[in-house]
Amino acid sequence: MLCCGSCRLDGKFVELLQAVLCSPKSPEQVQVLCAAILREMSPCNDLILRCDEIQDTKLLSLVSSVLLAQGNKKGEVAAVGQRVVKVLEGRLPEGQSALLLLPVLANVINLSPESLTKEQTDAVSRKLADWLRYASTQQGIVQPSGGFFSSPRTKQPAPVTEVDGAIATDFFTVLSVGQHYTQDQWLNVQAFSMLRNWLLFYGGQEGKAPNPDDKPGMDRSVTSMVSTTSTSSRLLPPKEHLREKAFEYCQRLIEQSTRRPLKKDDGDLQKACLIEAVTIMDIICKQDSSYVYRAVSFLKILHGRICGDATYARALLPIAQFFLNHSKLAAVDSDAIYKHLFTDIPAQLFHNPSLAFEFVQFCKDNSQLFTDTSSIFRQSFPNLFKFLAWNSPPLISEFVDLLPFLLDAGTAIEIFHLLLDLPCLTAALDIQLRAAALPTSEKATNDPAVKPATCLEAFRHPLYKSTFQHLLRTRSAPEDTPESLIPLRQLLGSLAGNPRVVQCAETVPVLLELFFRVVAESADGSLINQLVVLLLQRSDQLYEIPTFKDDVYRVLSSQLPMLCKLHPALVVELSTEILEFSGAVSNIQSKEPIFTHVVWAVGEYLSVSYDKRCTVEQITRFFETLEAVLFEITQLRPLASTPSCAPRAISVLMATLTKLAARSQDLIPRVSMFLSKMRTFVQSPAVTSVYCEEDLEEILIRATELMNLLKMPSVAQFVFNPPMDVPSTRLQKEVNDSLPLALRMVTHLLEPAPGCTPV
Amino acid sequence: SRQVASQCQLLQSSLGRLSSPQLPQLPDEPVSLQDAPGGLFQMPPGDPFPERVTVVWLSVLALACALVCDPQENLSLAEITLRRLAPRLLISLRLLSPGADVLLRQDAADALLDRLLPHGQMLFLNERFLQAVDREL
Repeated sequence: MLCCGSCRLDGKFVELLQAVLCSPKSPEQVQVLCAAILREMSPCNDLILRCDEIQDTKLLSLVSSVLLAQGNKKGEVAAVGQRVVKVLEGRLPEGQSALLLLPVLANVINLSPESLTKEQTDAVSRKLADWLRYASTQQGIVQPSGGFFSSPRTKQPAPVTEVDGAIATDFFTVLSVGQHYTQDQWLNVQAFSMLRNWLLFYGGQEGKAPNPDDKPGMDRSVTSMVSTTSTSSRLLPPKEHLREKAFEYCQRLIEQSTRRPLKKDDGDLQKACLIEAVTIMDIICKQDSSYVYRAVSFLKILHGRICGDATYARALLPIAQFFLNHSKLAAVDSDAIYKHLFTDIPAQLFHNPSLAFEFVQFCKDNSQLFTDTSSIFRQSFPNLFKFLAWNSPPLISEFVDLLPFLLDAGTAIEIFHLLLDLPCLTAALDIQLRAAALPTSEKATNDPAVKPATCLEAFRHPLYKSTFQHLLRTRSAPEDTPESLIPLRQLLGSLAGNPRVVQCAETVPVLLELFFRVVAESADGSLINQLVVLLLQRSDQLYEIPTFKDDVYRVLSSQLPMLCKLHPALVVELSTEILEFSGAVSNIQSKEPIFTHVVWAVGEYLSVSYDKRCTVEQITRFFETLEAVLFEITQLRPLASTPSCAPRAISVLMATLTKLAARSQDLIPRVSMFLSKMRTFVQSPAVTSVYCEEDLEEILIRATELMNLLKMPSVAQFVFNPPMDVPSTRLQKEVNDSLPLALRMVTHLLEPAPGCTPV
Repeated sequence: SRQVASQCQLLQSSLGRLSSPQLPQLPDEPVSLQDAPGGLFQMPPGDPFPERVTVVWLSVLALACALVCDPQENLSLAEITLRRLAPRLLISLRLLSPGADVLLRQDAADALLDRLLPHGQMLFLNERFLQAVDREL
């Protein structure tokens, strides 16, 4: 479709189009085409179309479509609204019907609800109520086609039926079925189709207090499904009259929507009608609380009827919303409804993308529910993630909005694990679905000694069963440690290439970054410590999807500087774990980003400036550990087993050792000697074949700068141990890259003459 | 439409289907929509719509249709509407026959949209009503 931002047609052409559009002699097709062109070219400054005088409903509809597309700069919406209501109120010419005008009106109120006056909305409300309630219950008659053999007797019209074929015994609705339809039945359909918005904009109290004479639920309770002829309600003002008719219509629809339809596609419409009816009832109850008592018992019965039927699952959401909004007023206990919704539905229907989407929207719309830690809503977050695990692309942005509401000190650890295992959850859900499809006669082996051959077998295998259950849990279980997931993760490796698993894995880095951003706002030292320990542990325990691991390492390692800044003492407090991690040479190769950042953190924060408890022994212990690692990876004649390491790791090790030596100056000679050997290292033939020239040069330059720095220990001490109250400069930023700049500055201070070689 | 295309591709790949480059022939029977890929997603305010919108999309053969809804609209009805519009559009516009001159059949598309989605308003039409609409077209 062409979509021009402004009218680029010649003014004369626009004039011509308008003239043709409005000329009574133009054939309809041409009029439609003119209107379409003018609409596409909107907004158009040359437009002189007006609707004030138009009587013909077809023309009015066409002209309105053009006017409503103009962006309402000259009050076109109000003008259209006024005209349409005027025509609706008046007597329509022969052969014309209001049918074409209702959609226009619906559009008007969507664009600019304030364009109608109270008198006008009252007038329309009266008509809407009539169309909703009093449409004919006889089927329309086919116009006889004429011809030679047409019967002179007109057939008797048959009554309309319900979708299941039964003869209708109550008023006509959108779920009434007939061979042909009358005009007023069409109006019934259109009136209902615009009812929700109409009530939203015009059904409310407008600041007036509710009528104190209304006795809640007493003189207007309807006990049977068949509505009584409520002549009394005709005496009500139009708004209240419409409200009553709308309520009855919704009740009728709800009754009709659980019949078994003859045509399958009518079943889909039934569900849509059910959702609409409950939503409208909710709106009505908000506008007039006397309806709550009538609605509550009705909806509870409905819930009982549909809660076991998966095809009606989407309707459970507006029902739950209704009870969230009104159950307090009605003093009704609706916990069972919420429990069923949050416990059973995600577990059974995570694979339904429409339900998944709407469920997550429901959570977002009611995000305040998750603040109560003990509530069923909050406790069910593992269930919610199933929607994301299965339907990742459409739901990731929704979960980015939702995650902050699920996250606090109590759930952080469990959610951290959950995020890292999200692709495993996808795999497990896949297996769960396939296992459910298997005939029950296929028994899995119960012998723990026999290893399962496939994931599917593992699902019921005694060794893996409980692990699957933990992964697929419906409630938060913070006390269960996921260490037992290790064998399961390995087993699920066969599904690592599954497209859904891969798509899910791609969402994890985004959520992890968000996780840390939210946690950083309120985490205390204890939580940060826990997270860092877990970070180190889990780096070994990730689902084996290649890019997944790299992405997770990248995100986790980038969080370390932030966590250290929030809680600098963590290096001292977690010295055991960090020592163990940084002492393992294998970590350099398998988890280089994390290793590098951990070693950097040691260099930055292992100091009395950050924690008074930091002792010389600790500094020495770290020094020795890191020295051993650096020694192993910079051997002149590397063994086959020596890993080839990222040059960054070598650089950061050297820098950290230097920093530690600056704090415990006995260590300076050891470092200096080590650094001086780096020249030999970078020139060794075995090494030059492994690393590229720029990297080696970089290493050498860094080693030289560090050595020079150590020749002036007091300067070194200042650079590496800034007093806490000095405002932070670039030197103290926790970015690795600032250090080279500092070192170069110092080097220039020490060696103003160019071309000096390091000792 | 860019977003719909990428969502469609992602869904297809998650289901393990390869996207076929050839245009399939128009089948004789009515196009079955049982397995047609479709979905819902939201677009934040800004680009290209000023307000937050929900997009309901459906892919039939080589064509993807999308309905842009306000977040509060009845999404079940939107899906039903799309499932009715898409095959009718395919047929009335004869989109899959060679030399399809879609742009010249604007009136056919307009008439269809005018009936099933008048002024952009969704209608609660049951199957019999839909048949009546089809008869009129």
